[in-house]
Amino acid sequence: MKLKRNWVMYLIVGMVVISSLSGCGGYKDIDKRFFVVAIGIDAAKSHTKKYLISLKFAIPSVEKKPNDFIIVSEEADTMAEAVRIIKTKVDKEVDFSHAKVVVFNEKIVQKKMEPHLIYWFSRRRDIQKILWTVIGRPTALEVLKTKPKFEQIPSNSMFLALGKEGTETPYIFGEYLFDFKKRLIEKGLDPFMPIIEVKKGLLVINTAGLFNKKRLKMVLTPEQTKLLYYIFNSEQKSAIKVKSRKLYFIIDTQKIKSSYKMDTSNPNHSIIKTKIKIKGRLEEAMFSPKNSELPAYEKLAEKDIDKQVKNLLLKLQKANLDPIGFGLYYRARHFQNNDWKTWQHIYPNLTFEVHTDVHIEDTGLIE
Amino acid sequence: MLRSNIKTTQEDLLEKIQQTEDVVFKELFTKVESIKVFYIKTLSDEAQIQNYIIKPFYEIESPTLFLDYLKSHPKVKPFENEEKTLNQLLVGEVIVFFQAKIFLFDLKMDRQSSVLDTTVETTIQGPQSGFSESIGTNLGLVRQRYPQASLNMESSSIGKVSKTKVITLYDNKTVNQEVLKKVREFLETIDIEMFQSGEQLLDLIKKSQRALFPLMLITERADRVAINLAAGKVVLLVNGSPFAVILPTVMKDFMSSMADIYQTYWVGCFFITLRYIGLFISIVLPSIYVALTAYNPEVFRVQLALSIAGSRSTVPYPAFIEVFFMLIMMELLTEASIRLPKAIGPTATTVGGLILGQAATEAGLVSNIMIIIVSAVAISNFVVPVNNFGAAIRVVKYLLLVLSIFYGLVGVVIGFLLLVSYLVSLESFGKPFLTISEKKPAQN
Amino acid sequence: MNRYLLYLLLVNMLTNIVVYVPKILIDYKYDGAVSAILIAIPIGLFLCIVFCKSISAFPEQGLPEILDQLLNRKIKNIILFIFSGFWYFAGFLTLIGFTDIINRFINPEMSKVSLAVLFAIATCFIIQLPTEKVMYIVEIILVLNVPFVFFIVFKALTNEYFSWNSVFEVGTHLFSWPSFKALSAATYTFSGYMNVLIMNRLFRQKIKGINFIVIGFLSIFNMFTTFFIPIGFHGADGAQEYLYPWTTTADCLRIPYGPIERVIFLFLMLYIGITVVSAAIHWHVAFEFLKGASSKKFTKKKALLILIIFSCATIISEMKITAVQTMFLSTYWLILRFIFEICVVTFVFFLARRKKNET
Repeated sequence: MKLKRNWVMYLIVGMVVISSLSGCGGYKDIDKRFFVVAIGIDAAKSHTKKYLISLKFAIPSVEKKPNDFIIVSEEADTMAEAVRIIKTKVDKEVDFSHAKVVVFNEKIVQKKMEPHLIYWFSRRRDIQKILWTVIGRPTALEVLKTKPKFEQIPSNSMFLALGKEGTETPYIFGEYLFDFKKRLIEKGLDPFMPIIEVKKGLLVINTAGLFNKKRLKMVLTPEQTKLLYYIFNSEQKSAIKVKSRKLYFIIDTQKIKSSYKMDTSNPNHSIIKTKIKIKGRLEEAMFSPKNSELPAYEKLAEKDIDKQVKNLLLKLQKANLDPIGFGLYYRARHFQNNDWKTWQHIYPNLTFEVHTDVHIEDTGLIE
Repeated sequence: MLRSNIKTTQEDLLEKIQQTEDVVFKELFTKVESIKVFYIKTLSDEAQIQNYIIKPFYEIESPTLFLDYLKSHPKVKPFENEEKTLNQLLVGEVIVFFQAKIFLFDLKMDRQSSVLDTTVETTIQGPQSGFSESIGTNLGLVRQRYPQASLNMESSSIGKVSKTKVITLYDNKTVNQEVLKKVREFLETIDIEMFQSGEQLLDLIKKSQRALFPLMLITERADRVAINLAAGKVVLLVNGSPFAVILPTVMKDFMSSMADIYQTYWVGCFFITLRYIGLFISIVLPSIYVALTAYNPEVFRVQLALSIAGSRSTVPYPAFIEVFFMLIMMELLTEASIRLPKAIGPTATTVGGLILGQAATEAGLVSNIMIIIVSAVAISNFVVPVNNFGAAIRVVKYLLLVLSIFYGLVGVVIGFLLLVSYLVSLESFGKPFLTISEKKPAQN
Repeated sequence: MNRYLLYLLLVNMLTNIVVYVPKILIDYKYDGAVSAILIAIPIGLFLCIVFCKSISAFPEQGLPEILDQLLNRKIKNIILFIFSGFWYFAGFLTLIGFTDIINRFINPEMSKVSLAVLFAIATCFIIQLPTEKVMYIVEIILVLNVPFVFFIVFKALTNEYFSWNSVFEVGTHLFSWPSFKALSAATYTFSGYMNVLIMNRLFRQKIKGINFIVIGFLSIFNMFTTFFIPIGFHGADGAQEYLYPWTTTADCLRIPYGPIERVIFLFLMLYIGITVVSAAIHWHVAFEFLKGASSKKFTKKKALLILIIFSCATIISEMKITAVQTMFLSTYWLILRFIFEICVVTFVFFLARRKKNET
């Protein structure tokens, strides 16, 4: 008993002494911090420096006045340098812990992208690994500056869209920093980034840029982006436009599920069979649809989607890009140590078979 | 005993006691016999003296018969020694000198026997009355609620000056003998001059061990006592206090209100959960606020972080001073509302709480969010049903706050861990304080 | 079911993240980690069963009491001193490792030394309590934390960025020869049973078979989560780049509708409790060994002295040691521990034999 009592005393005394010695290292009030919400990376205008780094700081709202921010830019060769200089320009401690988006200028990623740009983010402890990486058009700075009228908190509309907390559309699939970095290294899985475009004061996200391990190689059209995300199994709610000679209608999907299988038993003639299952309702049609003719519509839709997906896959193959991860899939199922090399020979000669299974439940509330 | 002896005893007694106006020494005569009564008017019941002594004395004709009456009356005790007689006189018994004998007639006036309403541990439903200030009535109340032949009691007196009567109650069938032994030892070791009420025992335990948490439950409810007797606990009743002491007490008991058993099962569970949530909030919320605003704002969502930063931007000093300031203000308010007369109590709280808070934010002394936090802490603190325990919790949150100032989030978590460890290390009369189920968690 | 045995193992399984087990395993992911894990499970389980069966020959006795009966004083004291050194080092590494994690992810600007002071004080407060109370604390902390840990694991496994193909790719390197480093790291999962050397004081009955079945399943689950979840998030080829694969993995998770959006803080807060408890178990065992080795009556002054030595050693080494050195130390300590563990199991096995022969 006595020991215990002493201990409490020692504890309290010890705590006070040690604590005062430590001098509360790191104590910094929230109002003495300046939160970076988004980071933009552009090419520098001058020739001496490489990049123009912009940090978008959120200004805390004092009198219920929403959406105030300030963008501080600096030209530098590296991220770290730029941040050090920017620190001298603001009065409060620059805090990256709420940085949620990094916007790359398209031109930067089109050139050979230097890995330190990505590794700087991964290396720092205060930057979230769930930072979204996007490509900005026309420039990253322009994207940061855009302030839609409905936005309450700086860059919040970007966060909501990328995180799918707000709008849910099949054209958006947020790419996190950790996933981008994984794709940058993983053999057989190539990186991609959604593209944010400034149009008339609004931020439009409906395309994606595909990378090989070094640079941006290809930009998809919105429709292709959507199909790519179907294969990622990312979103169930979508609309599919089916257009044939006679009929033109739109399916509101409830469920999209895709899977693929690989048949590499014949090394010269390997096949990837992709299956996409779509379930939905007819939402709009340029004619008067009948419930009895649904199977016919399904056939049309299947044919249409088959073709589109196959085109996309062939396009990817031609550019030797693999954002879906066929290569990794192959590696994961072959025990040889040189499976990656084999795959590199297989991929260019691969044939794709796409099989879509569309199920239209009904034509909605009316026939 | 010889008449002369009686004479001396009588004179001694008269000599020892101060001759104040409420001391009555009177001789009554009939033709054949005389009787002397000696009592203190303010302590003894004069109507009963009239009924039990004076009337029979005049009505019973033969002195021998009257002597028999005295000897056989259940309220009469024979004389033992002078010392004891004097003590009994001082608590209100009547001393009767008749022939060569001295009798002590227990005709105490029970001034405080009226049963009081519960004021501290109120419940919405269930019994509404608590104990009275008279030990006899209280015993009766317990007996009434707990009609068991195995109910046992031991009487002792505590306090060198006050000589307060304390009754230890327990059920012979269910009581844990080791606990009982420890309670007896504890009562024997108490060294105090004035003992007025069971709450003092808390203080006594503190003096020997410096415990922060109460290790015994003080209650004013007879139903609580009965239920605890049935659970095998030991109950102490103190003369003159409407509170009983229940031993041993573990944390579970402090968190349960009698209202729980007057509810349906799931509602009871919900209330208990609610209380634990309240307990947790009132312990950690202030320190979490400091830790998160000053060390780790990244834990918040960005939206919340910005609004906190905004509301703090007018506050000129660091977050921990803000928290300390508001917490102390809140404690002062709580203390003040206890001291104030019931009629102005609510006014003071309203004025203090609402207007002060409002004004402080407008003046930019504290942030809006701080006001929310302080009120949340204050409210959830009073969810704890037992006052003593709630008070301990009020203190604990400052310890966590200090840790959070120096160590941030880590400090809060470690502080909480230390608190849990400390609670585990506590024992109430041999029982671990954090016992979750009454059945001792047997290994295997 | 013997709760306490389960807790001891569970604490070790959870803390293996702190003592660089995932890092070591992931470093050898193409060079024998998978096969090492597969071998580690039967080896660990076998050692655990042999140990528990042997020690149940001495019901309600810790190692000091057992040695009292069977060996002479001097040998007993030497053994106890060596053992307590080992256990001290186990807790020491956990604390040092975790201080570094906290320093990096929660309090980057605070000096590691003052963090170490805080952790050491918390641990020391727990270890001087009676064994039974230590286990109560362990129980409370686990009951509070483990559901959340499972929640995090669940969140990770159902995450849409979790790449199962990367996991399978690592799985295809199953046939490489097991690496000894990886094996010794993997067996750490089981080594919680070693604490039974003291905690056996609380074990009244023999340990039943069902315990080992539960332990077997838990350990399989644990190894696969420790090793494969970081790989699923950071890729088969990239996972080894991270110094703390699991902590970084926790940072990849996001609860969109939770009060805390970033899982890493939930994760670290849970791990503060788990780490302190783990270190406290190890140090408590070390403390009890020293208690058993002290010749005369064990006074409070002596207890205090031990506690001060324990914490000061940690604090002082915290000043000198860097994270990379800690990792290096951990790696070799894990190997040494594995060998030591085999020796101890054999030792206890023979002690049990000897006792049976005597009676």
